[in-house]
Amino acid sequence: MRSMRFRKFIIRLVSLSMLSLGFVQASGAAMIGTQQLVESDARTARAARVEAILTRQDVAKQLVAFGVDPRQVQARVGNMTDAELIALEGRLDKQVAGGDAIAVIGVVFLVLIILELMGITDVFKAT
Amino acid sequence: MITARSFLSKRAAHASALFFVCALGACSSLPPAVRSYGIAPSPLELVDTPFFPQQQFQCGPAALTTLLTASGVATTLDTIVGQVYLPARQGSLQSELLAATRAAGRVPYVLAPALAAVTGELAAGRPVLVLQNLGVSWAPRWHYAVVIGADAERNEVVLRSGSDARRIMQTSVFLRTWQRSGFWAMTALRPGELPAEADRLRYIEAVAGLEQTGHHTEARAAWQAGLSRWPDDTVLLFGLANAEFALGNFFAAEALYQDMLRHDSSSLMARNNLAMTLAAQGRRQDALEQIDSALPLAVGSPLLDDLRDTQATILGSAENASNRR
Repeated sequence: MRSMRFRKFIIRLVSLSMLSLGFVQASGAAMIGTQQLVESDARTARAARVEAILTRQDVAKQLVAFGVDPRQVQARVGNMTDAELIALEGRLDKQVAGGDAIAVIGVVFLVLIILELMGITDVFKAT
Repeated sequence: MITARSFLSKRAAHASALFFVCALGACSSLPPAVRSYGIAPSPLELVDTPFFPQQQFQCGPAALTTLLTASGVATTLDTIVGQVYLPARQGSLQSELLAATRAAGRVPYVLAPALAAVTGELAAGRPVLVLQNLGVSWAPRWHYAVVIGADAERNEVVLRSGSDARRIMQTSVFLRTWQRSGFWAMTALRPGELPAEADRLRYIEAVAGLEQTGHHTEARAAWQAGLSRWPDDTVLLFGLANAEFALGNFFAAEALYQDMLRHDSSSLMARNNLAMTLAAQGRRQDALEQIDSALPLAVGSPLLDDLRDTQATILGSAENASNRR
C-alpha cells in the first residue's frame, strides 16, 4: 500500500507533467470536462481526475494479474471512466463478476433445491 | 423456445434437475442445438434479436454481443470475450461491459431500476441487458442475460439467456433474481438515439463517459440528441462544446461556450474552456482577458486552481512560441 503522502506527491508530479503537455491535448489539465460540471463537489472532481491517471495503471496491472491478456489490457482500462476505475481499484476480487459460477456443497445444496422448488430461486436451470 | 422439459410439470422438472445438476456445473453450456421458437411471440418481443449461446462462464460476453449486434455493431463473440471476460473471476464485471460498449461506439445507458424502464426500451426496439442473481445472497449465481420481451397478461419475461435462445421466466421470479443485483440493467444506444425514459442525469452520465474515454464523435452526436430533447440545457451545451473542441472545431466550440455564457454568465467552467478555445485559435490576448475576468469571481472556489492552470498553460505556450521564433 502506498502511503497517502507519497500518493499526493505523485499526483502533484503528474499534474505538473500534464501541464507541460500543452493545451492542444483534448483532455489536458486545463480543459474542464463535462463530468466535472455535474459533479456536486468540484474539488473532489478535480482530485479524482488526476488520481484516475494513476488508478488506470494500477487497475491495468490488477487485470493482468486476474488473467487478462496484457495486449488487451490498455484498451480495456482506456474505455473506463475515472469513477469506474476508482471504484474498481483494489477490489477486483470483491466486485460482482457475472459468470454463472456456483460453488455449492452439502446442506447448502439441499437448501437450494428447496428454495428452487418453492420458486424463490432459479439456480439449477440450464441457462 | 420449447424444450421437452417445458412440457413437464414444474415439480417433475425440478426432480429431473436433481439428476442433471451435477453434470451441468456452472454456466453450463448445452450444445447449441437447432432451436425452434415454437410458440407465438409475446405481445412485446423483439424476435429479430440475434442469439449468441454462451461458453462456460461467459454469459457476460454472450449477452453483450447480443446487445451490440442488435444495435447494429459488427462484432464477434470472440472479440467481446477479449474485452470483458475476467479469467480469474470466471465472469465479467459490470464496468467492463460499459467500457466495451463505449469501445463499440455505443452509449452505455444504465436504466432506472424499474421494470417499466425495461419495457420502455423494448417498446423502442432495444433489448436490455440485465444482471441477475439466480441463486441467493449467501450462495450467489450471478448471471447476465438479455431481456427481449415481456407479456403482462401471461406474467412472463422473455430472455436470451445462456444457451437458451428463448428463455421464458415468470415475471415474479425474474424480478426476484433481478432485484438481487439492485435491478441493474443497461442498453446500448446508437449515438443520437435517446433512451425511452427521459432521465436527464442518467443520460448526461452516460455521454460524459464517452467524453472521458475519448469517443468525441459519438459524444457529439449524443449531446446534440440531448439538446433536441432538453433545449438550452447548459450541461448539454457544455458537453457539445467540449466535443467540438476535442475534435478541433474551435469556432463551433467558441460559439457554444458563448451561448452557454449567455444563459449563465457566471459559469467559470465555460469561461475557462472558452479561454482555451481562443488560445487554440492563436488568440492569446483574448484568452487571457477571459481568464482575467473570471479570476476575481473564482476566489474561494476550487475552480481557482483550474483557472490558474489554464492561465499558466496559455502563458507557457506563448513563451514556447516566442522562444522558437
